[in-house]
Amino acid sequence: MEGAFSYAPAIAAFPLVAFVVALAFGKYMPKKGALAGILATAGSLLLSVVMLVAVASGEVYHGTIYEWAVGDALTEVGADGIEFTFGILIDPLSALMLVIVSLVAFLVHVFSLGYMNGEGETGLPRYYAGLGLFTFSMLSFVLADNLLMAFMFFELVGLCSFLLIGFWFRTRSAPSAAKKAFLVTRFGDYFFLIGVVAIASTFGTLQFAGEESFVAAAETAIADGTTLFGFGPETWVTITGLLVLGGVIGKSAQFPLHTWLPDAMEGPTTVSALIHAATMVAAGVYLVARMFGYYAQSPTALSIIAFVGGFTALFAATMGVVKDDIKQVLAYSTISQYGYMMLGMGVGGYVAGVFHLMNHAFFKALLFLGAGSVIVLMHHEQDMWKMGGLKDKAPVTYWTFLAGALALAGIVPFSGFWSKDEVLYDALIVGLEQPVILAAYAMGLLAVFFTGFYTFRMVFLTFHGEPRTDTAENPHSVGWSIKFPLVVLGALALLAGVANLAPVAKLTGMDITYLEFWLDGEYGYVEGLTYHDYHELVAFEEGYISSETVTMLLGAGLSLGLAVAGAVTAHVLYNVPEPTRHTAKLGGAYDVLRSNYYQDEYQVWLAEGLTLPLARAADRFDQTVIDGVVNGVSTASLFGGDRVKRIQTGIVTNYAALLVAGFIALLLVLGFIGGWFL
Amino acid sequence: MAVFDLPGWTGLAPALILAATALALFVVDSISPRSANRALLAGVSATGALASLAVAVWFIAAGVGQGGIDGLGVIDLFDGQFVVDAMALYFMIVVAVVTALVSVASYDYMADHTYQAEYYSLLILAATGMSTMAAANSLVTIFIALELTSLPSYALVAILKDNRGSVEAGLKYFLIGALSSAIFVYGVSLVYGATGHLQLDAIAVALEEDVADGFGGLLGLGILMLIGGFAFKTASVPFHFWAPEAYEGAPAPISAFLSSASKAAGFVIAFRVFTTAFPLEVTGELIGLDWTLAFVILAIVTMTVGNFAAATQDKVKRMLAYSSIGHAGYALIGLAGLTVDGGELVMGAAMMHLLVYGFMNTGAFLFVALAEYWGVGRTFEDYNGLANQAPVACFALGIFLFSLAGIPPLGGFWSKYFLFTGAISVGTTSMLLVAAALVVNSALSLYYYSRLVKAVWIEESVVDRDTLAQPTGLYAAIVFAAVMTVVLLPAFGPVSETAIDAAAAVI
Repeated sequence: MEGAFSYAPAIAAFPLVAFVVALAFGKYMPKKGALAGILATAGSLLLSVVMLVAVASGEVYHGTIYEWAVGDALTEVGADGIEFTFGILIDPLSALMLVIVSLVAFLVHVFSLGYMNGEGETGLPRYYAGLGLFTFSMLSFVLADNLLMAFMFFELVGLCSFLLIGFWFRTRSAPSAAKKAFLVTRFGDYFFLIGVVAIASTFGTLQFAGEESFVAAAETAIADGTTLFGFGPETWVTITGLLVLGGVIGKSAQFPLHTWLPDAMEGPTTVSALIHAATMVAAGVYLVARMFGYYAQSPTALSIIAFVGGFTALFAATMGVVKDDIKQVLAYSTISQYGYMMLGMGVGGYVAGVFHLMNHAFFKALLFLGAGSVIVLMHHEQDMWKMGGLKDKAPVTYWTFLAGALALAGIVPFSGFWSKDEVLYDALIVGLEQPVILAAYAMGLLAVFFTGFYTFRMVFLTFHGEPRTDTAENPHSVGWSIKFPLVVLGALALLAGVANLAPVAKLTGMDITYLEFWLDGEYGYVEGLTYHDYHELVAFEEGYISSETVTMLLGAGLSLGLAVAGAVTAHVLYNVPEPTRHTAKLGGAYDVLRSNYYQDEYQVWLAEGLTLPLARAADRFDQTVIDGVVNGVSTASLFGGDRVKRIQTGIVTNYAALLVAGFIALLLVLGFIGGWFL
Repeated sequence: MAVFDLPGWTGLAPALILAATALALFVVDSISPRSANRALLAGVSATGALASLAVAVWFIAAGVGQGGIDGLGVIDLFDGQFVVDAMALYFMIVVAVVTALVSVASYDYMADHTYQAEYYSLLILAATGMSTMAAANSLVTIFIALELTSLPSYALVAILKDNRGSVEAGLKYFLIGALSSAIFVYGVSLVYGATGHLQLDAIAVALEEDVADGFGGLLGLGILMLIGGFAFKTASVPFHFWAPEAYEGAPAPISAFLSSASKAAGFVIAFRVFTTAFPLEVTGELIGLDWTLAFVILAIVTMTVGNFAAATQDKVKRMLAYSSIGHAGYALIGLAGLTVDGGELVMGAAMMHLLVYGFMNTGAFLFVALAEYWGVGRTFEDYNGLANQAPVACFALGIFLFSLAGIPPLGGFWSKYFLFTGAISVGTTSMLLVAAALVVNSALSLYYYSRLVKAVWIEESVVDRDTLAQPTGLYAAIVFAAVMTVVLLPAFGPVSETAIDAAAAVI
C-alpha cells in the first residue's frame, strides 16, 4: 500500500491548484472557478477515501517530505539537535478527518454553485480561490506530522477565514467581522506559538508520532522525573500544553475567545458551513485529538479542557435561545457543540470527542447549508420572525433541515444523540470521582435542554406556522446544486451515528463500536497513537452508579429527556400559527442574554480601556526616552565631531605644539605605568 | 624554480623595478624636456608598477618567504639590512597596485598641468621608498626608506604650484614631517644607545641577552619615539595633523596614493619593527609594560578622532581624509592585539584591511579626482545628483563607501569582521574596549559615508550641469578598484590565508 500513500500530498495539492486556477483564470471560466474547485475537492475526496481504505487494510504512513532547517540545539532533555520538516502522518484519525474535510468542502463547493453563482454575486474567482486555499490549508493541517507544520497551516487557515469572512468587503460589517476573527484567533495563536517554541526547546522535536516524538519524550521525562526549566516535568507539560491550548481556544471559539464566531456570520453562508463544520473551528479540536497523548499526561490540563468545554457548551447555548437571526442561532450552537467536544476530550473520552467532531461536521454543515437554502428562498432575509410556513413550499430543505436539527438537539436515533451521549457518559463516569469534572458534566447536561429548545425554536419559527411576510409567502426556488448536498448530508446526519453505537453495544454485547475499533488500532495504527494507549495515560479514576449499564442508561435517559423537554417547550411556545416573542418571561435575563453576557463589551473595554492606554504609554516612552537617547547620541556625536574638527586650526605651529603635547601625554602615561622615571 | 638561480639581491626586484622606472622617466624627460607626452609617461609608470606587482606576485606564488619543503625561505640581504619575506611581498603588492591605479588615473587628472614628468618620477620614487620600507630590516634602512618616501611626497602634495591650497599643504606636510622624522631619529639613537644595535634581529638578541638591563626607561622612550615616527607615516593621532590638509590640498590621485600606499608602508615597518626587534616578553620585562598598550591607546584615540571629525565635514575630500585617519585606527588594532604567544589572526586581519583599503579608499579618492576633473565643486552639495550624469562612476562610489563603512558583503566588511573577531578572541579587557570602539566608530562612519551616497544618488542637483566627460584613465582605475573591492570577497580565502601566514611568519 506504499503506493497509495505516495499520492497523499495530492490531497492537499488539488485544492491549491484550484486556488491558483481560480485566481488566475477564474474570470474566463464558465462558472468562475467553481468547476475547478469542485473537481479538485472531488479529487481530494476520492484520494482521502483511498487513504481511509488503505488504513482500514492495516497500513499507516509517516514520512518526511522536506527538511527545511536542521540545527544544533542543546535542549532541556539533552537532545542535541533539532530538525524542522514538512511531513505527512496518515493514521486512523487523520484519514477519518481527511474524508470529513474533503467531503464537506466538496459539498460546499457544489452548494456554492446555487448559492453564489445562482445569485449573481460578483468577485466569484476571489471566492473560489479563497475556498480552494482554505481547503488546502485545512487538509495540510490534518496531514501534518509535526507541531510546527501544524502551526503554519493553522495560521494559514486563520488567514483564509479572514479573507472569506470579509468577502463582501464593501459592507461595513464584513471587514470588521473579518478583522475581529483574525485578531481574536491571533491572540490565541500567540500562546500557541510560544507553546511550540517551548516544546521545541524542551524536547528538541516537534513530531507527533513515533519514538522521536515530543509526546514520547515527555513520557520519558515524567518517568525519569527530569526537571524542565526549573519545573517538575508534569507541571511543565501542563504549562506547554496549556500554551498550545491557547490556539485551540481561539480557533475552536471556546470561552473567552469565542466572540469572533457569531460575527463571522457576516461571511457567505457557505463559508460559515465550511468554517464551522470542517475547517477553522474543527482545527482546534482536531489539534487536541492529534496531540492527545501529550495532554493525557497532564490531568490538570485535561481538567481545564473539560471545564472550559462544559462551561462553553452551556454558556453559548443560553445565548442561542434569544437570537432572531437564523445564522446567529447556528453560530452559538457551534460554539456550544465544540464545547461538548472539548468536554469529551478533557475527560479522556478521545473516541467520544472525535465521534462528536465527525457527527457535528455533517449535521452542522447540513444546517448551515439548509440555512443557506432558506436564505435563498427568502431573498436574503435572515430574520426568523419574517419567515414561517416554509415547510410546504420547500420540502427538501425542510426535511433535511429537520434531520440536522434532530441531530443537533440530540434526539434518538439521529447521529448527534449517540455522540453527545457518549461525551456525557464519559464525563459522568469520571465526574463521579472528580468534582470539577462533575461540575463540567452538569453544565453540559443542562446545555442539552437549551440546545433542544433553541434548535426547535429555530425550526418552528422558520418552517412552521403561517408565513409572516410576502417573501415567505412566495419563496424563491432552489436548484439541484442546493438540494443535492442537503440530501447527502441529511442522510449522514441520520445515519452517521451507526459508526459507534456504544450504548447498544453495551446492552446487547455486539461488537458494533466501529469507530472505537478504528481509533484503537483494530485496523492500521501508529504506535502510541491509539485509544487504549491514551486511556492508560489518563490518570482519571472512573466511577459508576451501581453498575456500568445502569449508569449508562441513566445518563442517556437524562440527556434525552432534557433534549425532548427543550424541544417540547419550544413546540408549546412557538409551534403555533402566529408565534410571539415571549421575551417578557425572561425578565432581566433577556437583556443579559441578548447582549451575549457583555462579552464583547468587556473585551472592547480591555482593548480600549487597558491596552490602548498601555500602548500610548509605550509609545510615549519610545518617542521620548528611546528616541531621545538615540537623538541625543547623534546630537552628541555631531557636536563632538564639530569640536574635534576645531582642533584642526589650520596653523602649523599649533599642530606642532599639539603633536608634541600629545606625544608627551602618551609618554607620561606609559612612563608612569612602566616606571621609567624612577 | 627559476628563483633559485637568481642572485640574492634580485629578491628586492619589486622595489628595484620601481627605481628603474623612476630613472627611465627621468631619461624620457631629459630626451624631450619641452614636450609632455602624457600617454608615454603614464604608460611607463603604470608598466613599471605592474611589473613590480607581477614580480611580487610571482615571488609569493613561488614560495619566497615560506618555510617548509615547498617554500624558498626568507631571503636575507646585506647582512640582514633587508629581508624579503611574505609580509614584505604582501605589502609590495599593495604598494604596486595602488601605484598602478594612481598612475592610470593621473593620465586624465594631470592633463593641462605642468611638471608632468616630474610628477610621475616623484610618484614612482615615493613608491620605490614604500616598497623598500616593506623589506627594510634595520633601523637605518628603515629611516632611509622612510625619507625616500617622504621627500617625494612633500613635493607631490605641493605640485600644483599655482594652487594656494596645494602649496600650503605641502609646506605643512613638510614641517610636521620634519618634526616627526626628528623624533623618529632620536628614537633610533636611544634604542641604539640601549642595545648597541640597529639591525632588528640583533636588537632582539641583545634584549634577550640582557644587554639593555638598567636602561629600561631609555629603551621605553626610544620605542615610544619610534612609534611617533610610524604614527606620522600612518597618519595616527597625535601625529595626524598633516593629513587632513595634505590630503585636501594635494591633487586627488596623490591623496589616494598617500592615504593608501603610504599608510600601508607605514604599517609594514611598524609591524616589522615591533614583531622582530621588540619581542613582547623580554621588552615588557625591561620597560615595565607591554608596548601593545601604546597601540591600544593610539588605536582607540585615532579611530575616534578620525571618525568624529569626519562626521561633520562639508567637503568630501576632507571627509575622506578624516575617514582615512579613522581607518589607520582600525589597522592599529593589528599591533594592539599582539600577545606573547599569538596575535597572527588579528595582525593578519589588519594586513587584509590594508589591502582592501588599498582598493576602496583609492577608489573613493579617485572619484574625488574625477569630480575635480569635472569641476563640480568640493562640498557634499556640489555632488548632489551626480548619479544622473555618471551612473557607473557613482555606482562604484557607492561600493567604495559602503565597503569603507563595512557593509556586507563587500570586502571592507570582511576585513573589519576579522579585525573584530580577532580583537575579541584576544579577550583582554583593553582589546574588548578596542573592539567596542571599532563597532561604535563603524556605526558612526556609516552616517557620513551614506551622506555622500545620498547626495550622489538621491538628492536633486542644485545646478544644471552639462553632460559630464568620461575620462578613460580615471574611469578605468575607478571601475577596476570597484571590481576588486567586490571580487576580493570570493578571493578572500587565499588572501586571508596569505595575510595570516605572513603575519604568523614574522611573529
